[in-house]
Amino acid sequence: MKRNVLIGSGFIALIAALAIGQTVVEKRAEAQAKNTVQAPRFEVDPMWPKPLPNHWLYGNVIGVGVDSRDHIFIIHRGEGNLNPKEIYHTANPPAADCCDVAPPVLEFDAEGNLVKAWGGPAKNGEKYDWPGSNHGITPDSKGNLWIGGNGPDDGHILVFTRDGKFVKQFGFPYASAGSNDMWAFNKVAKISLDEQANEAYVADGYGNHRVAVIDMDSGKIKRYWGAYANKPDDTNLGRYNPQAPPAQQFRNPVHCAVPSNDGLVYVCDRPNDRIQVFSKDGKFQKEVFVEKNTLGDGAVWDIAFSKDPQQTYFYLADGANEKIHIFDRKSMTELTSFGDGGRYPGAFYAVHSIATDSKGNIYTTETYEGKRLQKFVYKGLGPVTKKDQGVVWPTKTSTH
Amino acid sequence: MNLLNLLNLLNLLNLLNLLNLPVVYSVPMRRIFLLSALVSGAVTVGFAQTAALKVEPLWPKPFPVAKHWILGSVTGVTVDAQDHIWVVHRGVDSLQNNEKGPTLEPWASQCCFSAPQILEFDPAGTLVASWDVGANKGYDWPHDPSGIAVDKAGNVYVGGGLAPSALPAGRGRGPAPEGAAAAAPARGARGGDAPAAGRGDAAAAQGRGRGAAPAPPPPPATAVLKFDKTGKFVSAISGVERPLAVAVDDAANELYVGDDGHGRIAVFDTATGAQKREWKANGDAFKTIACVKVGKDGMVYVCDRGNNRIQVFSKDGKFQKEAKVAADTKGDGSVWDLAWSPDRKTLYVADGHNKKVWTLDAASLQTTGSIGQGGRYPGEFYGVSAVAVDSKGNLYTGETYEGKRVQKFVKR
Repeated sequence: MKRNVLIGSGFIALIAALAIGQTVVEKRAEAQAKNTVQAPRFEVDPMWPKPLPNHWLYGNVIGVGVDSRDHIFIIHRGEGNLNPKEIYHTANPPAADCCDVAPPVLEFDAEGNLVKAWGGPAKNGEKYDWPGSNHGITPDSKGNLWIGGNGPDDGHILVFTRDGKFVKQFGFPYASAGSNDMWAFNKVAKISLDEQANEAYVADGYGNHRVAVIDMDSGKIKRYWGAYANKPDDTNLGRYNPQAPPAQQFRNPVHCAVPSNDGLVYVCDRPNDRIQVFSKDGKFQKEVFVEKNTLGDGAVWDIAFSKDPQQTYFYLADGANEKIHIFDRKSMTELTSFGDGGRYPGAFYAVHSIATDSKGNIYTTETYEGKRLQKFVYKGLGPVTKKDQGVVWPTKTSTH
Repeated sequence: MNLLNLLNLLNLLNLLNLLNLPVVYSVPMRRIFLLSALVSGAVTVGFAQTAALKVEPLWPKPFPVAKHWILGSVTGVTVDAQDHIWVVHRGVDSLQNNEKGPTLEPWASQCCFSAPQILEFDPAGTLVASWDVGANKGYDWPHDPSGIAVDKAGNVYVGGGLAPSALPAGRGRGPAPEGAAAAAPARGARGGDAPAAGRGDAAAAQGRGRGAAPAPPPPPATAVLKFDKTGKFVSAISGVERPLAVAVDDAANELYVGDDGHGRIAVFDTATGAQKREWKANGDAFKTIACVKVGKDGMVYVCDRGNNRIQVFSKDGKFQKEAKVAADTKGDGSVWDLAWSPDRKTLYVADGHNKKVWTLDAASLQTTGSIGQGGRYPGEFYGVSAVAVDSKGNLYTGETYEGKRVQKFVKR
């Protein structure tokens, strides 16, 4: 009996100790949460997408978008920038059974299955000008895809159904009347959509130095502006110098112009290493520099917003420093980054384009010799422990 | 393709189906069969998998992020007696300007530096050692090291194609000095994000970066370099020209060299570096000696890359037999490197042209299947140039050109 009591009291003491311990742990966690910055966390899915059929390879993958069904569309440059040693099967006669060039537009489902592949010059009496070098792909809610181009003569935008049927063309090739032209564009990098206003924001681009806003039905240019809302000017600015006062114009390429839910437009001024923010009517709001000493291609390649209604964060693809910067959108401060150079899963060689799906997952594409589409799975918010996370591999080492 | 081959092929396919193996790509299968059959009489077994091997996509572990290291074109992979994996790659000279921003003058971006050119990994993919070999270290580090071997004492032997390059000292070879970016008004390398170029341009872009005038090629390398297990230079084994391949016969303390410039296999004493014997090809001259390997059967196997063949010799150089692999391969040729499974039943042959690793029956040297296909994802290949197997049967591959990876395929 006595023994039982002893055991019983010991048990109660243990429970009490555990309870106290638990409270302490919770308090500590709360305190930590208050003192630490939270940011979205991601892990690469190393086996996504599934292998392509037909020994297909991508060239430079220079556009990615996700539609309302969470299907992922990419556009790539194809044969022109694949090495002949990679695509022996295209030789005449074929010099090996591997590899061939995939059609320029590919659609994947969320599991990474290839759904459809299409694209290329007009045939069967269709009347459109396939870009000399297609660039950027953006799905709209009607199931159409908006495609730009930065080939030498590309002055236009194309719209196709997601099955590859031609819908319409705005602008025309062989046009380069400059950044104040009202009829055509000059090497469009990417089109982003504000469907409520029936407007498309054109990053214009590799030739022009402006953001152009067009009516989604007519393609008519409604307004446009340059850096700091200046009238755009095509004077050659020379090379970017991080020590010089900020350039009063965008440099080529203007690589993205993405409207947010709260009425702002985020512009990737790529070689100037900066994001400029405008109201939708083109009033300059603010700018932030990213890796300001970056030369060459510049640091600000593409932007995607987090999927919460507030779009609390944005993700910035930096193909020169080979990482994704995670920013708090309101304060425009960088919270953390992930990625590093390389050819392994989660590493990048010239990460060029970025998009998110409805679950908050990130998709990236790489140009140059990266030539991949990768998926980064959203793992919820977590405390920021490192400024540069490096390659974010799954915590479980074997996934398959 | 004769009827017998066709029957074998169909039998193999049935067998695969029975075993429920991943025969991928039902639609293009017929074409793959026809082409493979035409080229080699062999079957493509699908993506990255065979009955026995599965790619480990998360291997090796990432280098520390602060280092921003990447691999150049990988030209040698070997496994030592402790199952450690040794890698040699071509370093910064094989990187394009738009992926080596911090090595440029002026500094252009944070990423990337070349990883040290000799790397040692453990089976888990942890970097164990990295040797800062290179120019101005008291030996003629080759412009394009090629082939690596480790002897039982841990000494490391490295071959090479060309002598040290004539690049100006310091160019692209180290970190930028502090403040280099601030001091530099000029823009760094303009990358290749320009519009799609023609085929010829793409080929040019595979070189040292765009825009630079092509430098005259350096002269051939004339020695195999020997280092001790700590990375200290020991000796240069000379008398060779373009020694693309190396192998060690520990029992005899002999080094076998694929002396490509002289079209011969040369055998040296590992201690003294003295040449002991040599021989040339049987029949047509060797056309790029991409590997030389000493088998546990006491025979010497030579990868005669450009002739799509393996030639087998006794250790004293007597020709034994030969076998073609993917016999109709043009271009770079099909036989780039080879390695045996631990049970000696399977011979793996790296084929950088056809972008796969062939499996051969080790006794008959008949092709039985293959692993992998072209591409940049885990288990795919671009220029697979090296293959090695550890004591557990795990397979390691190295890729040159723009592949620039080492991959592990786990034995199941």
